[in-house]
Amino acid sequence: MFLSDLVNFWREPVRRVVLLVVGVVLMLGAGATGQTPGLTVYTGRGQAFVEPAVREFERETGIRVQVRFGRDAELLAALQEEGTRSPADVYWANTSGALGAAVQAGLLAPLPESLSRRPVAFVPRHRRWVPLTIRLRVLAYSPARVRPEDLPTSVMQLPHHPRWRGRIGWTPPYSSFQDFITAMRVIHGEARTRAWLEAMKGLEPKAYTSNPPMIEAIRAGEIDVALTNHYYVARFVRLGYPVAAHHFAPGDVGSLALVTGAGILRTSRNPASAARFLEYLLGQKVQQFWANEHLEYPVVRGVILSPALLPFDQAIRRSPRMDFEALRDLEGTLRLLREVGVL
Amino acid sequence: MQAAAREAPPRKPVPWLLPAPAVLVAAGIFAPLAYLILRALEAEPSMLREVVLSPRNALLLWNTLLLAGGTVGGSFLLAFPLALLDVRSDLPPLLTTLVGTLPLAIPEYVGAYAFLAATGPGGTLEAVLGVPVPRPSGYWGATVVLSLFLYPYAFLNLRTALRGVDPSLEESARSLGYGPWMAFSRSVLPQLKPALSAGGLLVAIHALGDFATVGLLRYETYSSAIYLQYSAAFDRTYAAWLALLLIGLVTGMLWGEARVVRGLRLARTGIGAQRAPRRTPLGPWRWAAYGYALGLGLASVGVPVAVLGHWMLRGPGTEAGIAEALTGTLRLATPTALLAVGLALPITYWSVRYPSTASTAAERVVYFGYAIPPLAFALAVIFFALRTAPALYQTLLLLVVAASLHFLSEAIGPLRAALYQAPPRLEEAARSLGYGPLSAFFRVTLPLLRPGLLAGLALVFLSAAKDLALTTLLSPPGYTTLAVRVWGYASDAMFERAAPHGLAMIGLGAAAVGVLIQTERAR
Repeated sequence: MFLSDLVNFWREPVRRVVLLVVGVVLMLGAGATGQTPGLTVYTGRGQAFVEPAVREFERETGIRVQVRFGRDAELLAALQEEGTRSPADVYWANTSGALGAAVQAGLLAPLPESLSRRPVAFVPRHRRWVPLTIRLRVLAYSPARVRPEDLPTSVMQLPHHPRWRGRIGWTPPYSSFQDFITAMRVIHGEARTRAWLEAMKGLEPKAYTSNPPMIEAIRAGEIDVALTNHYYVARFVRLGYPVAAHHFAPGDVGSLALVTGAGILRTSRNPASAARFLEYLLGQKVQQFWANEHLEYPVVRGVILSPALLPFDQAIRRSPRMDFEALRDLEGTLRLLREVGVL
Repeated sequence: MQAAAREAPPRKPVPWLLPAPAVLVAAGIFAPLAYLILRALEAEPSMLREVVLSPRNALLLWNTLLLAGGTVGGSFLLAFPLALLDVRSDLPPLLTTLVGTLPLAIPEYVGAYAFLAATGPGGTLEAVLGVPVPRPSGYWGATVVLSLFLYPYAFLNLRTALRGVDPSLEESARSLGYGPWMAFSRSVLPQLKPALSAGGLLVAIHALGDFATVGLLRYETYSSAIYLQYSAAFDRTYAAWLALLLIGLVTGMLWGEARVVRGLRLARTGIGAQRAPRRTPLGPWRWAAYGYALGLGLASVGVPVAVLGHWMLRGPGTEAGIAEALTGTLRLATPTALLAVGLALPITYWSVRYPSTASTAAERVVYFGYAIPPLAFALAVIFFALRTAPALYQTLLLLVVAASLHFLSEAIGPLRAALYQAPPRLEEAARSLGYGPLSAFFRVTLPLLRPGLLAGLALVFLSAAKDLALTTLLSPPGYTTLAVRVWGYASDAMFERAAPHGLAMIGLGAAAVGVLIQTERAR
């Protein structure tokens, strides 16, 4: 009896539509309910990188952490749109350039010394963010087609190898490449950087928008060498791809360290928990996890590294010394890349 | 005076309920537009000359137009034979429906990456076929790959229209002495005009807005420039200008499409019920038709699934958190699809049944929401939410509203094609029998619109499930979807983790397609 009533009710088309509308409103309502307070983290880093560390932190401390993923610049733009109403406590970026931009925009608060003392290097003098991992720029190559002894010791010599005409891959639209060019402008000056770009352009390099398809292109024989980051090569090697990484000489701009790090926002309502979170990320456990799973270099001592990576002391000293926040001058680099016509 | 008024045909009064949703939608779409203009006005004239009017930008614009044109052509080339086979031949409709809709479950960027991993020496396809397959790249690569994943938009629109064509029309043409091809092209093709233009517009807008696929295939377009400005350069003013120029381009296309469908009257005028379309036995051509459908399915669905499966075998196999991402996708895509179709129905009905400058403009406005690059749209929504309703900021509700405004136009095409073919007379007859306007619509017209409604629901659901740009910027903290996971893992070169999420997404899309087929069969 009841069932047939229900069926009859459903048969009436007007009622059916009303029911559907009620359903949608309920579903939306369920989605709109507020969150419990805890920590809110904005990060430009990937989920696989962030989530395991966050879950462990939640389990050990009982502090709930909400994570918002995006790209560095997107989140920085969102933070600026949000202003003082931002719910974010921590900004965790992929590049020191974005952190520098956040410092310049007055978004980050100074950190306690207990925190900034932990990393062995790369801490900015004003202590508004801490480094969490580093990645090194390298030259990926095909061991089947290139002899390692033929590879240059400085990236500045790369354009003088005409044999690789049309066989070099690079990623002008990708942030790591742009950071590398910014570093070259800081170290070698505007004129030499422009000359380097022009000479490279003469070799007709193939441009990619991101690194994985470029390494894929080395496998497929489209190119022989490619300017990239060390972990992309290491991850493809782990998958059994025929590629290898060549490190330029210590101190060469081709060995630039890409520093990832995080800071606490001035608008944070929970700076103590935020500091505890950063401290946790600098702990042995998380640093070891990142080295194992993601093949990035730690910034604290005592982490065991995969044989596919450089030893810790070498890796830390590989990069040229510089003000890593200077990488925030992306605008100048983009202008140069546009003028030379590679972007 | 009074005599003249009596002679003029009585003008149907528009029920007030119809324009109301259109006004809401227009407000939701024009507000972000105002934001874009506000941003664009901050530009210095020197910057404008240097960047916006540069020869490089002109080249990018040209590239984009070439890509849009090629992709529309390619999509129809692939979809038209398939839609014909589906409606008019004795091939099993399940096969053609699956091949025609399943690629929608595969995000273009995943498809493009799969092709890169599958081709060339040492690729997945070489392991299967024994010989390396040439790698797609540049203009032709981007056109072919985009067409392979966008042709379902053309297919679904074409099929809805082909099914609504009354076979007696073609028979009349035959009885008047036309051969089969002439009869088809004179009587059936004109009926497909709304479907061709709506489907073409959808494909073109996707191609114009795509940045991920063209990026992977190394073809530079206008949208990749916009993406670069938002993601890498911290420059929102320049990006706003680029977005406005792209919107200008789409405006031109919308105007062109409006001219195509203006004044069309395709509804049956005869009495009696419409028959189902006639199915032609293919005879010996059957195998060629099978080959075409299967080949297309293998290229568009087989390759990505094979590559994802291959990655999955290399990895650890289990993936925690996949249920969470699946729930996230459902919580976004389901309400978005329902809301979008609910809004699209009155707007389409208004513009088809009460054609006027205002109603046509309302339908056109919907396409603007689609034409605004999603990244620009998302930032604009953040801006507005924070200034007008901060409580809504970073809620699923806001993301759903933004997504349904953005994807609304995908529901318009099939609905409009179905409405053009639902005779207004039936509704008028119901009214004359004493039903009010609403119940006449719900009892008589709505059941006729069912294929269009379902197609609209399915299209918006799948688009929302694949969405990346809106979800990344507007999602509440802690919220994730399958699409966000696939993209994140793949750009970190962690393919063994991306694979299960990608496969789950394709499974979800297949389930949506399955529901669609079941409901259609139950009719």
